[in-house]
Amino acid sequence: MSDPGTLALAAAASVATDLPAGDGLAALAAAGGSADWWVVGEPADWGFVRRNADYLGVGALLTIGLTFASILLGFVVGFPAGAVEVYGDGLLKRAVSTVGIVLRGTPIVVILIVMYFVVGVPQINLGVASISSAMTAGILGLGLRSAAYQSQIFRASLSSVDEGQLEAGRSIGLSRFEAVRYVVVPQALRRSIPGFQNEFTIVLKDTSIVFAIGLAELLTRGYDLFSEQTTAVLEVILFISAIYFVLTFTTNRALDYLGDRYAIPEGESA
Amino acid sequence: MASATRPATVRERVADADRSVGRLLLVAAGALFWGWLVASWVNRWLGGVLVPVGQPLIPAGAVETAFAAIPGFAAYAADAAFVVELTPELSRGTWLTVVITAVSLVLGFFIAVPLAVTRVYGRFSAWLSLAYTELLRGTPLLAQLFVLYYGLNLASYVPGAFSGVFARDVVWVAILGFTLNGAAYQAEYIRGALESVEEGQITAGRAIGLSKLETIYYVVLPQGLRYAIPSWTNEFVYLIKYSSLAAFITVPELYYRADQIASETFRYTLIFVVTGVTYLALVLTASKLMERVEERVSIPGLGADSEE
Amino acid sequence: MSDDDFLRVTDVSKWYGDEKVLEDVSFEMDRGDVTVLIGPSGSGKSTMLRCVNRLAEAQEGSILLDGEEVLSPDLDVDELRREVGMVFQGFNLFAHLTAVGNVALGPRRVLGLSETAARERAEEQLERVGLADQLDSYPAELSGGQQQRVGIARALAMEPKLMLFDEPTSALDPELIGEVLEVMHGLVEEGMTMLVVTHEMSFAREVADEIVFLDDGRVVERGPPEQLFDRPEEERTGRFLERIASHD
Repeated sequence: MSDPGTLALAAAASVATDLPAGDGLAALAAAGGSADWWVVGEPADWGFVRRNADYLGVGALLTIGLTFASILLGFVVGFPAGAVEVYGDGLLKRAVSTVGIVLRGTPIVVILIVMYFVVGVPQINLGVASISSAMTAGILGLGLRSAAYQSQIFRASLSSVDEGQLEAGRSIGLSRFEAVRYVVVPQALRRSIPGFQNEFTIVLKDTSIVFAIGLAELLTRGYDLFSEQTTAVLEVILFISAIYFVLTFTTNRALDYLGDRYAIPEGESA
Repeated sequence: MASATRPATVRERVADADRSVGRLLLVAAGALFWGWLVASWVNRWLGGVLVPVGQPLIPAGAVETAFAAIPGFAAYAADAAFVVELTPELSRGTWLTVVITAVSLVLGFFIAVPLAVTRVYGRFSAWLSLAYTELLRGTPLLAQLFVLYYGLNLASYVPGAFSGVFARDVVWVAILGFTLNGAAYQAEYIRGALESVEEGQITAGRAIGLSKLETIYYVVLPQGLRYAIPSWTNEFVYLIKYSSLAAFITVPELYYRADQIASETFRYTLIFVVTGVTYLALVLTASKLMERVEERVSIPGLGADSEE
Repeated sequence: MSDDDFLRVTDVSKWYGDEKVLEDVSFEMDRGDVTVLIGPSGSGKSTMLRCVNRLAEAQEGSILLDGEEVLSPDLDVDELRREVGMVFQGFNLFAHLTAVGNVALGPRRVLGLSETAARERAEEQLERVGLADQLDSYPAELSGGQQQRVGIARALAMEPKLMLFDEPTSALDPELIGEVLEVMHGLVEEGMTMLVVTHEMSFAREVADEIVFLDDGRVVERGPPEQLFDRPEEERTGRFLERIASHD
C-alpha cells in the first residue's frame, strides 16, 4: 500500500527547503513598492496560476463532490443517531453516544488515516467510473465524523421542541412514533438549519485535510502546483483560498435563503 | 398498573450505578494518562532523573512479560510492549500539542475580544472585523497554514527573541496561524454572547455615568463572556484537534511524531489508535476543565443557569 | 351510581416517586354530562384529567369509559385517545402547521382520511369554532383566544365521545377568555360530554351538572353547582371558594 500521508509530510519539508529564502515576503514587499500596491505577487506567477486554472477547477469539483457525499452520509447516519440520543434508551443509546464522543474527540486527520490504512477501504467500481480508495476513505471519514456532529445538532433541535407538542400529538391518537414523525421532526428540522449551515461549511473546509491521504482535491492540487513552480507558492495558495471562500460564502447564502424560505411565521413555539 | 412505574425507577437506579462506575473508571484512566504524561515531561526536562531520556517510564520488556503472564492477555503482550515503547516519542509530541493549543487559544482570545466588541459596537471598524472573521472562517485552516509557511515563508523571519524557544522555529508559524484563525472563531462566539446581553444593561450602565467603553468593560463583557463559555469550550476542543494540522508544516507535534513512527514501522493501526485515544483524552480533559470553570464563575440567573 | 355510567372513576391513586398526587379519587358522569374539577393548584385535578386519556398513568383504581377499563395494560392507548379529545392550557398547537393543518393532522394520519377529506373536515370544525377566516394562519399569527379555539377544533375533528379541558382559559388575557368560553357553551348545548378543569367559577356554575372539589389529591366534596357553591358542607371548600372570589 502506498503511503501518501507520510509522503505529504516528507514533501512538506522538502518544498520548504527548496524555497528561495524570503521569497514570500519579498514578493509582498515588491508589490508594496510598486504603483499597483494591492496586487500581491508577480504577474508571471499569476500567469502560471491562470494556465493551470483547469487543473485546479477539477480539484474544486472534487472538493464539492466530496463535501456533498460526506454531508449526505452524515445526515443519513446522524439524524437517526440524534433521534436515538433523544428518544432511545439503554444499550443502543449509550453505544451511539459513545461512538459520537470518540468521533468528535479525534482529529479529522487521524480519522482519515485510520479509514485509509486501518479500515483499508477498497476501490469501488461503479461500472462507468470507479471511486478510488482514497475517495472512499475521505467520504467515510468526513461523513461519519459529520454524522457525529449532525447527531448533536438534531439532538438539540429535537429536544428543543416543547414537550406539549408531543403530548398534543398523542392526545389526538397519534402513536409515539407518528407524533415524533409528524409533529416534532418537521419543527426540529427547521430549527436545525443554522447548525446545519455551520456543519456544511466545516465539512467543506475540512475536505482540504484529505491532503493527508493524497486525494487530489483542490488543496492537494494547489500543493502539487506550487511544488512544481516554487516562485508561485503565494499566488497558488491565495487563488485556491479564494475558491474556498467563494464556495463557503455561496453555501452560506444558499442555506440562509433556505432557512428564510421554510421558516414558520414568527417561528418559535407558542 | 401499580407496577408500571416502580420497576422503571429501579432500572434507573441500576443505570445510575453503572454511570458512576463508568465515571470512576474514566477518572482513573484520566489520572493514569496525565500522571504518565507529566512524569515523562519532568523526566525529560530534568535530563532523565527517572529513566534515561527517550526510554519509556516502564521497561517495555517488563510489560510484555506481565501481559504474557495474565491469561487472556497473552495475545496482546507484544502490542502492549510496542505501545509502551512509543510513549517517550508520543509524550514529546503531546507536549508540543498542548503548548501550541494553549498559547494559541490565549493569544487568540486577546485578539478576539476587541474584534467582537468592534463588531458589535463599532461603525467602520465593524466592517473590518466582519471582513477578517469572514475571510478566516471562510477558508480552510490548512490553506492558511500553507499561506504562512509556504507562501510567506515566515519560518525564516521568526524574530531573534522568539527563535530558539522551540526546537524548530516553525512552531511559531503554527502558533501564529492558530492564533489568527482561532481569534476569528472566538470573536464570532463572543459576538453572539455580547449580543445576548440585554440592551437595558447598557442603558443602565450609561445612566450611572459610565462611558460607553466603561459600560462594555464593566457591565457587558463580564456577562457576555460567561454566556460565551460553552461555545468557547468548543473552540478549545477544536484547537486541540486541529493543532494536528501543524504536522503538515513540519511541526513535530503529536500527529507528526505518530506519522513518522508509523512510516518507519508500518504499524498504522496500533499507532493511530493510540494517537486517537491520546487526542480524545486531551479533548475530554479540556471539556471537563471548562465545565468546572463554568460552574466556578456562574452567577445565578445568568447564562447556562437561566436556560434550564 | 348505576352500572351504565358513561365514565366511572373509582378509587384512582397516583404517585410521582414517593409523593402521592391522587388518592382514591372517585366520581362518575353520564353521557352528555358536564363535570367540572376545581381545586387549588397542585391539588391533582389536571393529573386526574390526564389519567383519563392516559397522558398520565394512574397506579391504582379503575377508570371505566363506556364500560371499558381505561387503565388496563392491554388497552390500545392510541385508540382511547382517538375517542377522547383534549384541550390544553398552553394550547400546544403544532407550531409548524397552519390552523387547518393542525386540525387536519389527526383525521389524515390517525383516521386515514384523504388529504381533501381531512381538509374539509378541518374547515368544518374551524367554522364551528368561528375561525373560518383564519384557516391558513400559523399559530404564531393568531391571538391566544384564537389559538385555543383551534385547539378545540383539533380535538373535535376526531369526533370524540368525551372532551377533556385542562384549564383552557388560564393562559389567556382576560379579554380573550370570553370567546373560548362561548365556544365551550356551544358544545354544552350540542350535548357534548365534557370533563373540565377550570378556575372560571361562573362558567362552572352555569354549565356544570356536577362540581368535584379536589384538594391534596383527594375529593373533598362533590355535588351540583348550586349546592357546592352556595352551601358547601366542608370548611375547606368554603375557604377555597372565598379565595377564588376575592381574586376575581
